[in-house]
Amino acid sequence: MVSATKDLKQEATDHPAKDGFEPLLNETFAGKHLTDPIPEIKDKWKLLPAFLKVKGLVKQHIDSFNYFVNIDLKKIVKANQRVTSDVDPHFFLKYCDIYVGIPERTDADAANQPYTPHECRLRDLTYSANIYVDIEYVRGRTIVRRKKVAIGRLPIMLRSQQCILTGKTEAELAKLTECPLDPGGYFVVKGVEKVILVQEQLSKNRIIVEMDKKNNVMASVQSSTHERKSKTAIIVKHDRIYLKHNSISEDVPIVVAMKAMGVQSDKEIAQLICGNDHDLLDLFSINIEEASKLKIYTQKQALDFIGSKVKVNRKISGPRRPWADEALEVLATVVLAHIPVETLNFREKSIYAAMMVRRVLQAMNHQVEVDDRDYVGNKRLELAGQLLSLLFEDLFKKFNSDLKLNIDKVLKKVNRTQEFDVHNQIILHGDHITSGFTRAISTGNWVLKRFKMDRAGITHVLSRLSYISALGMMTRIASQFEKTRKVSGPRALQPSQWGMLCTSDTPEGEACGLVKNLALMTHITTDNEESPIRNLVFVLGVEDVNMLTGAELYQPNVFVVFLNGSILGITRRAEKFVHDFRRMRRAGRVSEFVSIFINDHQRTINLSSDGGRICRPLIIVENRKPRVTQQHINDLIAEKLTFEDFLKKGLVEYLDVNEESDSNIATYEPDIIPESTHLEIEPFTILGAVAGLIPYPHHNQSPRNTYQCAMGKQAIGAIAYNQLNRIDTLLYLMVYPQQPMVKTKTIELIGYDKLPAGQNATVAVMSYSGYDIEDALVLNKSGLDRGFGRCQVMRKYATMVKQYPNGTHDRLVDPPQPDSELWNETYSALDADGIASPAEPLESGSIYINKQVPSNTNAELGVGAGVQNITYKGSPMRYKSPQTGYVDKVLLTTTESDQTLIKVLVRQTRRPELGDKFSSRHGQKGVCGIIVQQEDMPFTDLGVTPDIIMNPHGFPSRMTVGKMIELLAGKAGVLAGKLQYGTAFGGSKVEDMSQILIENGFNYSGKDYVTSGITGEPLSAYIFFGPIYYQKLKHMVMDKMHARARGPRATLTRQPTEGRSRDGGLRLGEMERDCLIGYGASMLLLERLMISSDAFEIHVCEECGLIGYAGWCQFCKSSKKMKSMQIPYAAKLLFQELMSMNICTRLMLDDAL
Amino acid sequence: MNAGAYGTPQPRQPVQQMAYICAAHLITYPRLIIACGSENTIKPREPIRCQDCGHRIMYKKRTRRMVQFEAR
Repeated sequence: MVSATKDLKQEATDHPAKDGFEPLLNETFAGKHLTDPIPEIKDKWKLLPAFLKVKGLVKQHIDSFNYFVNIDLKKIVKANQRVTSDVDPHFFLKYCDIYVGIPERTDADAANQPYTPHECRLRDLTYSANIYVDIEYVRGRTIVRRKKVAIGRLPIMLRSQQCILTGKTEAELAKLTECPLDPGGYFVVKGVEKVILVQEQLSKNRIIVEMDKKNNVMASVQSSTHERKSKTAIIVKHDRIYLKHNSISEDVPIVVAMKAMGVQSDKEIAQLICGNDHDLLDLFSINIEEASKLKIYTQKQALDFIGSKVKVNRKISGPRRPWADEALEVLATVVLAHIPVETLNFREKSIYAAMMVRRVLQAMNHQVEVDDRDYVGNKRLELAGQLLSLLFEDLFKKFNSDLKLNIDKVLKKVNRTQEFDVHNQIILHGDHITSGFTRAISTGNWVLKRFKMDRAGITHVLSRLSYISALGMMTRIASQFEKTRKVSGPRALQPSQWGMLCTSDTPEGEACGLVKNLALMTHITTDNEESPIRNLVFVLGVEDVNMLTGAELYQPNVFVVFLNGSILGITRRAEKFVHDFRRMRRAGRVSEFVSIFINDHQRTINLSSDGGRICRPLIIVENRKPRVTQQHINDLIAEKLTFEDFLKKGLVEYLDVNEESDSNIATYEPDIIPESTHLEIEPFTILGAVAGLIPYPHHNQSPRNTYQCAMGKQAIGAIAYNQLNRIDTLLYLMVYPQQPMVKTKTIELIGYDKLPAGQNATVAVMSYSGYDIEDALVLNKSGLDRGFGRCQVMRKYATMVKQYPNGTHDRLVDPPQPDSELWNETYSALDADGIASPAEPLESGSIYINKQVPSNTNAELGVGAGVQNITYKGSPMRYKSPQTGYVDKVLLTTTESDQTLIKVLVRQTRRPELGDKFSSRHGQKGVCGIIVQQEDMPFTDLGVTPDIIMNPHGFPSRMTVGKMIELLAGKAGVLAGKLQYGTAFGGSKVEDMSQILIENGFNYSGKDYVTSGITGEPLSAYIFFGPIYYQKLKHMVMDKMHARARGPRATLTRQPTEGRSRDGGLRLGEMERDCLIGYGASMLLLERLMISSDAFEIHVCEECGLIGYAGWCQFCKSSKKMKSMQIPYAAKLLFQELMSMNICTRLMLDDAL
Repeated sequence: MNAGAYGTPQPRQPVQQMAYICAAHLITYPRLIIACGSENTIKPREPIRCQDCGHRIMYKKRTRRMVQFEAR
């Protein structure tokens, strides 16, 4: 050894050049120069499709529903598992298990029991499955077990575990006439697709400190457990602190409350709240004084004090309990209900209350300690599963109590004909659970008396205007705040919504900022089991709260550990604890959705495992290096790894908003600093699915992106692969949809390139003809002939052939013979069965279903009355539209109630016309102002004529630079034969695009030499010319055009009806009236308001001023002074109404000039 | 479906039964779908059901009359 080191030393001194580091001194090392950029991970966005395979977009709905079916359902049943009888103490019924089957038909004799969602849509059925229970009950003297007893039907969410579509390949889905791109996550109830929107709420069981109206600090908690929901607040009134709760009629001084919870000594109270902080103690001391003024020193006195103020809501008050007992129960179970009190151990609850008071005291001193309600971390999202579980809990409890009543009724009878079997009772128990579910989902009203919940508008019909509108609906979040509030807080963009909620996608106007959308790469958590986390926390060295006093609680360096808002204990080494916990999570020892973060202000460590938190995956950075390497990505691309593997290996982790705020996240790899903890997967994921369609959104003025998000949902295009099998009330389809030349990564990820809504129009940005002012577009007539903007409108007309209780029924009647007198043109489409055949043209007024309804559907028919005696009256269904429609499909089926249902699908093909609305993908909408012959269009030196001419005035004020870049990239793409990318914060670079243009002999700026089609002279400017993706929007003149001269009038007022659908009049409103008054055009006013509206001739008696007959006053009994005059019928109506209220109106007549 | 609905009962030949096509997609063999497509007649006040496969959706057949579409 010695010699060896000697040798080395010698060598080192002899040959200093040979230390093994020589290659480092060379100019390049392993082919790399010292100043070469560090290679970044390429294609790390590939994590995104991998993520979307397992989570994201609509998966949160499905996950939530699966959680409900698999776990919540069982929990609810377990909590209500026994049904007993008051009559027979030996009787019991126990639910052992509950599970949901696969969706099956209700009629038992069907050949194939499972059915498809599409069949439900066509037949107006509910896509639902049986809920089965395993039961154990007493029959006679034995205990009987039964398995698989159906208690009701649960609507099944599409693509959830129970749904038959889950796990099917594209080919298998095609067999079931289902679109593989359809996201699922909605329900089919009575043939209608219903979505339960994500609901946003303030998080439960967390302390929120805020200012009330009088600028006093208050800390409140919304407690929510399975048994109880209540709100407890600590408020400040006249500098003193009180506990406020709904079940206590008066505010309780906090010291009294603390004493009632068993903390009797003033010193201990002060210490629990203030620790050793003298400032806080000064602020708090007044409260201690108050308690002593009230002469309350012991727990018993305090309980008596509170007990006298407790609101007792007991129906049958037996022997009245002492006040103290009353108070004790309220404090244990109702106040701060989420903190458990076992065997009257109030320690945890009193510390919790003390912490709340401390927060209030701190906020009184420093305003900064007040929480932000709008912070996304303080919010929870409620999903379909949670809402359904609330509903089920209510329905199940009702089911059991009804069952109990029935059981009691039967057991009361002493002599029964047969042995009592509950099983029969359950079977015959009706469809309470089934109808409860269908009613709630189809009306959207969640009325649960048990939880004092009455919410309307929870569900919405899935909008199928376009694929994007359906997808956009699935990511939508509705907030619970009332819309009338003037405060801007809830509506404003929150910095914490970065990456979680889309920054662009929100409606304009009333609901602006209140309705939000999820970003692309988000997931919403479901509940996680608390107890393993609790164990782990204590294993990692947290000291239990129950062993602590206030002095230890608030020492510097001591951090209080919370789990889901309740205190677990303290730790003195916060950083290490958090670090250890994160390592355990990354190792997969606890669920990846459990979050942990440090709040340095409050010196707390918060762990959350509750459901409804938004979270997103991020790449973990350690020692300035992302843990994901190029090798991992390559393996992902080669499909050797999945997203789950990335999670398991601890390369990627989910962060919720709170933990995200506690992390240092680098957006790009070169931005990593020593403090960095995470790296973004892709920055464009801060946008949602709808905003992701916009090319180059980072070059646009932000409101334009918001406008586009609203408009993209109205674009006509392909809806689903099964669009031609669907029979929807209204379906817009584009005839030749194209995928955009300038795509984004989002477009590929959500499949917009497979179901596009728009066409690549060649656009010339120039002025032409003067019919293009105010965003109007000039369209090329030949372009329209070639199919630009052509769309089909399919409309469903449905009718039931009803049977009535009195035995009569509707009937379909064949048309009269063509040579008979009764025949006319409107019968021409009808077939012998009284229904128009597919492909028959329907003109306006044509009958397509010739139905007759019995004239008497109420009265009971006599016994002798035969079929001949029933009279029918016609109720034909007539087609009404200015354009000819063709019958596309006629479907006949039987609904669940055995009524025949007929659906007729009528198709119109529409080519763009003057006034139809178009839009690019940059919030630049415009209507067609003129359609020009191709010959008159300007053309380039290659002979290209534009499809659309757009006025350049649309650009300067809108600042939609993205649109210009789209044109450039599109043009380059056309010339290179490639699709270009306009992904947000990336995409094809303008410089590269210009290069392609130059290589193909074009101007680098996208401008072309253009010749006028009218004069044949070259235009005096180069024209910005190239393809832009244009969408046709659903607003078409044909559906809006309306005019009327004379027409129908309302029966009551005799004024013209209102609205286009009733062929209504055009109203001359108040403001128009004001103009005419101002101008003094009295005769015009008279004509508009009376003569053209509801003029009515009355006869007035000059003597008494009352309205009489023509030439006779019934009041004066004379015919002397009768005058006839014209007044509005509405005025006459008013007089009569007043008269009916015992107010006499008299007309004083005078000569008009 | 009912003859003689227009006032005077004039002698008319009974309307011939209309045929409707069953809409079922039968999955008979893995990766093979066959539309049932069998023709059925529908009688008033009777549940609609295919005689062959029991499916409950029927489509009406395309018209036998000549249809001229407007090419615009």
